[in-house]
Amino acid sequence: MPDRSQLARIGGRAGRGVLGLVGIAVVVATLGAATLVTLPTLERDPQSSEIKPLPSEQQRVCPGPLLTLAEDSTQAQAASSVGAASAVYGAVDARSFEQIRPQVTEITAVDDSNSRQPPLLLTVPVQNGASLPPLVAGSQSQVAATDTIGGLAVAACAEAVSDSWIVGGSTDIGRTSLLLLSNPTTVLATVDVTVSGESGLVDAPGSTGILVQPGEQRVISLAGLAPNVKSPVLHVQSRGGQVAASLEQSSIRGIEPGGVEIIGTTATPATNQIIAGVRVMAAVSEETVTTGEGFNADTPSIRVFVPGSVAATVQIGVTSDDGTVEGTSTQVEVEPGIATEIPLAPLAVGSFSVQLRSDEPIVAAARTAVDSAGGKDFGWFSASAPLEGSFAVAVADGPSPTLHLVNSGAADASLTLTPSAGTPVDLEVGAGASATVPLANGVVYAVSGGSQLWALVDYSGDGVLSSFALNPPGPLASSIRVYTH
Amino acid sequence: MQPRVTAILVARNGAKHLERTLKALSLQTRKPDIVITVDCGSSDATAKMLAAFGPTQFIAADADLNFGQAISAAVRVTTPPTHDRELLWLLAQDSAPEPNALEALVDALEIAPSVAVAGPKVMEWIAGEYIHNFGESMTPTGATVTLVESELDQGQHDGLSDVLAVSAGGMLVRHTVWEQLGGFDPALSVVDDSLDFCVRVRLAGFRVSVVPSARVASAGDGVAGPNQSSRGRLRRRRVRAERSAQLHRRLVYAPAGALVFHWLSLLPLAFVRSIGQLLRKEPGAIVGEFAAAFGAAFNGMRVGNARRSFAKTRTLGWDAISTLRVPSNEVRRRHSLKREASLFGLHGERPEIRFFSGGGAWTMLAAAVVGIIMMVPLLGADTLTGGGLLPLSPSLPDLWASVGYGWRDLGLGFVGAADPFAAVVAVLGGVAFWSPSFALVLVYALAFPLAAVGAWMAATRLTDRGSLRALAAALWVLAPTFLIALADGRPAAILVHLLLPWLFFAWFAAARTWSASASAALLFAAVVACAPSLAPALLVVWALSVALAGRRVMRFIGIPLPALALALPLIADQGLRGSWLNLVADPGLPVPSAHAPTLQLLLGLPGTDGWAAVLDRFGVVGLDPQLFVPILLAPLAALALLALLLPGARLASGAWLVALLGFGTALAANQLVLAAIGAEPVRVWTGSGLSLYWLGLVGALVIGLRSLHRFASTPGVVAALALTVVVLPLVASLHLGTAAVREGTGQTQPAFVAAEAQIDDRVGTLQLVPQADGGLLATIERGAGATLNQQSTVDSTDQTLSAREKALAELAGNLASRSGLETSADLAEFGIRFIVLQPAGPGVEAADTALRTETALDGNAALAPVGDTEFGRLWQFGETDAAASTPLPARAGGVFGLVTLLIALAVVGSAVLLSLPIGAGREAVRQANRDAIRRAARADAKQKPKRARRTKVVSDLEADLEADLAIDRETGVGTGLESDDGFSDDAAVAEPEPVEDDNAR
Repeated sequence: MPDRSQLARIGGRAGRGVLGLVGIAVVVATLGAATLVTLPTLERDPQSSEIKPLPSEQQRVCPGPLLTLAEDSTQAQAASSVGAASAVYGAVDARSFEQIRPQVTEITAVDDSNSRQPPLLLTVPVQNGASLPPLVAGSQSQVAATDTIGGLAVAACAEAVSDSWIVGGSTDIGRTSLLLLSNPTTVLATVDVTVSGESGLVDAPGSTGILVQPGEQRVISLAGLAPNVKSPVLHVQSRGGQVAASLEQSSIRGIEPGGVEIIGTTATPATNQIIAGVRVMAAVSEETVTTGEGFNADTPSIRVFVPGSVAATVQIGVTSDDGTVEGTSTQVEVEPGIATEIPLAPLAVGSFSVQLRSDEPIVAAARTAVDSAGGKDFGWFSASAPLEGSFAVAVADGPSPTLHLVNSGAADASLTLTPSAGTPVDLEVGAGASATVPLANGVVYAVSGGSQLWALVDYSGDGVLSSFALNPPGPLASSIRVYTH
Repeated sequence: MQPRVTAILVARNGAKHLERTLKALSLQTRKPDIVITVDCGSSDATAKMLAAFGPTQFIAADADLNFGQAISAAVRVTTPPTHDRELLWLLAQDSAPEPNALEALVDALEIAPSVAVAGPKVMEWIAGEYIHNFGESMTPTGATVTLVESELDQGQHDGLSDVLAVSAGGMLVRHTVWEQLGGFDPALSVVDDSLDFCVRVRLAGFRVSVVPSARVASAGDGVAGPNQSSRGRLRRRRVRAERSAQLHRRLVYAPAGALVFHWLSLLPLAFVRSIGQLLRKEPGAIVGEFAAAFGAAFNGMRVGNARRSFAKTRTLGWDAISTLRVPSNEVRRRHSLKREASLFGLHGERPEIRFFSGGGAWTMLAAAVVGIIMMVPLLGADTLTGGGLLPLSPSLPDLWASVGYGWRDLGLGFVGAADPFAAVVAVLGGVAFWSPSFALVLVYALAFPLAAVGAWMAATRLTDRGSLRALAAALWVLAPTFLIALADGRPAAILVHLLLPWLFFAWFAAARTWSASASAALLFAAVVACAPSLAPALLVVWALSVALAGRRVMRFIGIPLPALALALPLIADQGLRGSWLNLVADPGLPVPSAHAPTLQLLLGLPGTDGWAAVLDRFGVVGLDPQLFVPILLAPLAALALLALLLPGARLASGAWLVALLGFGTALAANQLVLAAIGAEPVRVWTGSGLSLYWLGLVGALVIGLRSLHRFASTPGVVAALALTVVVLPLVASLHLGTAAVREGTGQTQPAFVAAEAQIDDRVGTLQLVPQADGGLLATIERGAGATLNQQSTVDSTDQTLSAREKALAELAGNLASRSGLETSADLAEFGIRFIVLQPAGPGVEAADTALRTETALDGNAALAPVGDTEFGRLWQFGETDAAASTPLPARAGGVFGLVTLLIALAVVGSAVLLSLPIGAGREAVRQANRDAIRRAARADAKQKPKRARRTKVVSDLEADLEADLAIDRETGVGTGLESDDGFSDDAAVAEPEPVEDDNAR
């Protein structure tokens, strides 16, 4: 029989054990509860100011007349201009839409051995007291009909930038591609051109450190940098001054010209790219497309390039501009660093807008061709950046110019097209919808009322096809968020 | 004519000792002729006992009469003396004379007519064989010296006769002399009253003598002579009274000409002596020090009266007593002897830390080796960079200039409060005074051994087993939060982990010694400065300590004071903004961190454990770190929980409370995003809370294992090995390249700018950093660039934009754009000479912004491109000296800055003085001696409880001593029977605690 003190000791131990278990239970319960409960968070947002830069003078460079490489074999790299391009340009005040007369100067085309008509530089100073830069637009067109070059080439007069992408061109047999670099700034531009093709990055000696003097245009034969590349994609980067880059491509089918085009820059890499208008001149059925490398060069296709290092899954949606024709939707896997051509088929004749959605940033442009009694021509349709707010369109002379609009915003857009001469046109573009507007030759339109629009102007006719995309003023003039601590 | 003795017995609430005194009085061989008893307003049985004794006269007096006044009251009822053989015998309630005492005293006065005062040998009340007090004197400067005290009486002082003074209790004085001199000075209430009287007796031409054969026991009740209790309040009152008496006597004795100088020196001396009191660990004496100084300075009446009556009776010069004074060096010699004796007594009884023999040194060495293995990629570095690491200002004055309220040279600069962390950085930089930035390299190089030593020392508070201490050190060094802080380059979090064990170490002993208490306060300030998010948790622990401290509360109550004093300007700043929560924002360079899942925090991981990346890298499949990491950490948690069931559970529950507080802190920090750097919000770092969590866990684990005794080794080793496996990727992070920290160049700016900064140390550089959201961070750095000590949470948590900041944003926005703005004027106005565009991080938007900015800057005619540097692309604005240099504003802090700085200096300085491990002061040593004697007597009494005729007395004393001993624990001058702080109180119950002696420090 245990005595009293023993009992007390046993009791004490038992009590301690129970207390210990209670303690363990409390600890486990507390920690367990902490993992299950969702706690409120307190987040202070960083402070910043949205800075709208003071507007500065606007400059646009028109590429100038079409060029051809000299037939003289001793001067294989020397280019000479063919004929003359006609340019239409204008500027309007961003608020009042009053016409402003741009100052027009010339860019010295140092590589043009036949410089009868140099490229034009449009300069529009900021109007006194204006808080928004003026809307400047310019475009040029030229119909060529020589032994080697034939077809219509229109181009927008572009702003010089330090980083641009050109998707298009070819240095395959019978194709000639000339890179035009114009430096409208007052600073020497050092340009690096990176060319990627269907087999990846092209090792191109001489593609870096290209010097473009202020106020000069350089012409570089792409074949010299990257010969025998079917699907080149160009990344043009400049240091110091900025350059306006464009690529002139011409082709010869057998002995007759297969068309000509001046390809403007496409939108910089992004996961969402929109080509506002692609005109298909001849219907394509599934059968006409041969898969693989050698599908018909006349087949409407999209050239996609992934600049990063990760393969992208790209969703390509093709919708008819006016809703009359059915579109298509395809999904493709695009390897990084390799220019990939994707045929757009089947498609009926008509005009379409193309939307590319990707999980990685991409660049893209589309190409279609026309082959009719009037001749052969092809056209490149580049992706463009969204136009936020009003913009201007200058319509160079050419057959049936048409403005393609895509409203990707959440709200319907009520647009007003105010021509430099004539009566304004009102237009409704629903959210997510697209529209086409016929334009008049030689007129500068101010388009107001949109908030997020993609726009492209195309020209098409009997045996001629061309286009230029409308891009907003460069990102340098857009507002920027600035943090100070 | 026969001598006539009038015995005057003064009592105040002295029933406890009165019985023995009255009995002793009645047993005198030479009975006093007249007995007058004075009751000073007692509330206990004293009056009854005094009346029952049957005195010739019984006087009931006021309670506020001091001994001298009570005697005077009694003398007034006697007949005036007619001859000098009428004697007064002054007794207090606790003056129990031996039977022959009066006879011997009277004999002494009879034999020598020139002797006017005779004093007995005052013995200890309980330890009757010890001398309590035998003769008094002064040093040449007037300090009181007791000739013999607290010594075993072996007759060694029986040759003593002529002395300067004797103590009041038991003194026999000629009535005529008493009348002539007017008795005791009423200004001297308890202390030095008899000394002063005897000095006046001496200078009036009489002699003062001690009579060794007359023995009177005294209990030190504080009626005659000061109270001898070691109880805090009484002790402080005594110290104050002693100082008051000394100052009063100084002013009375001083020649008239020197009076002014003495008077003027009162306050400065009080300041100087206060510092001394702090060093002697007597902070409680400071109030008394000043009270005594003010008291002496502003009661001219008393000093004047005393000077007049002194002059009236004085017939001899000071030379007459110079031979009776004790030389100062003799006083010092005696003190050091006593101190040695008392320290010797203290040391024998306490277990020591045994750092070398206990394995501490080996543990440190092992940690150092592991540290070197981890830090191989950093070997030979002069500076470190990455994460939150920045250089420190190159000179110590610059470092200290960034402490306190004033100009913060960060970005545009502003007037505001520095983080308390700046003070920590300044102290840290002082370690490497030749190149302060090197201090961070030292922190990294020594992080492992320092953490190991800290944890090892902290474990000495819990266990005396070397293996468990080493285990604690290993678990602490391998704490994931520590390793992640090292890899991420978070200097503040690293310091927290290094300091926390020391805080625990000091806190544990804070109840015992002022030195530990002040050390804890300083460490508390440092920890809270490094991780303000820990403040709430530590304050909870502090509040609990205060609540549980009982009498030792004063040792704890001041612990948060230095932290508060340092943070005062910051609290004011953030308080004015109305954003109190911002006070917990992490100091230093803000380092963003991801939101951690709660489960991950539970594992002690503030960031990823790194296993997923390692397995991926080496292509191992089939292992899920989400599964095996918790399993590997389970033994640690299980052992810590087990501690709650084993002996020592109450201490373990304290440890778990700390752990839960730490976990709660981490959990809360995880939800708080207070600061931002550019577009990136910066979360409060959870790792500091997890360090506290880990401290509690390791503590509980050690407590549990020590109760397992010899079964402790296997589970301990298993837990440590499992933890080692878990943290392998973290230890290897520098080798794997997953760590942010790397060897630096000592610069944060391009060399071109650094060279320019050599010429103009205020040269401005606009730093542009593209942000992930497409924005641009624009800051101005002056001179050689940002420093760690200039970082400020006032800036990083700022939710407003000042006009200057808006102007800078406007400038930067236009610089980064094709703009029509004429930027030259603005650049000059901001004093910007250089623009650095830092490389963009990953992300399309940041790259776009970088490109745009570079394009715009390239196209800016006012800027000349210099080229690409390792810190980004550099542009120069204008020619040299084009932009005016912006000077540093002088005295930007103003009065507020000065006042807060002085407060911080006073509080922190006091804590530093108090924490310095300098031996106890004179007073403490005296007290220790007295207490040791009484303790010895108690032990003696316990052994022989039945010793003749003392039985009753002893049992009375038992209770008395118990109370006194309880106080010893508080005073810290005891002998090691003390327990520790609030936590270990529990442990002391559970089992004998190995405690360590801080007293020697």
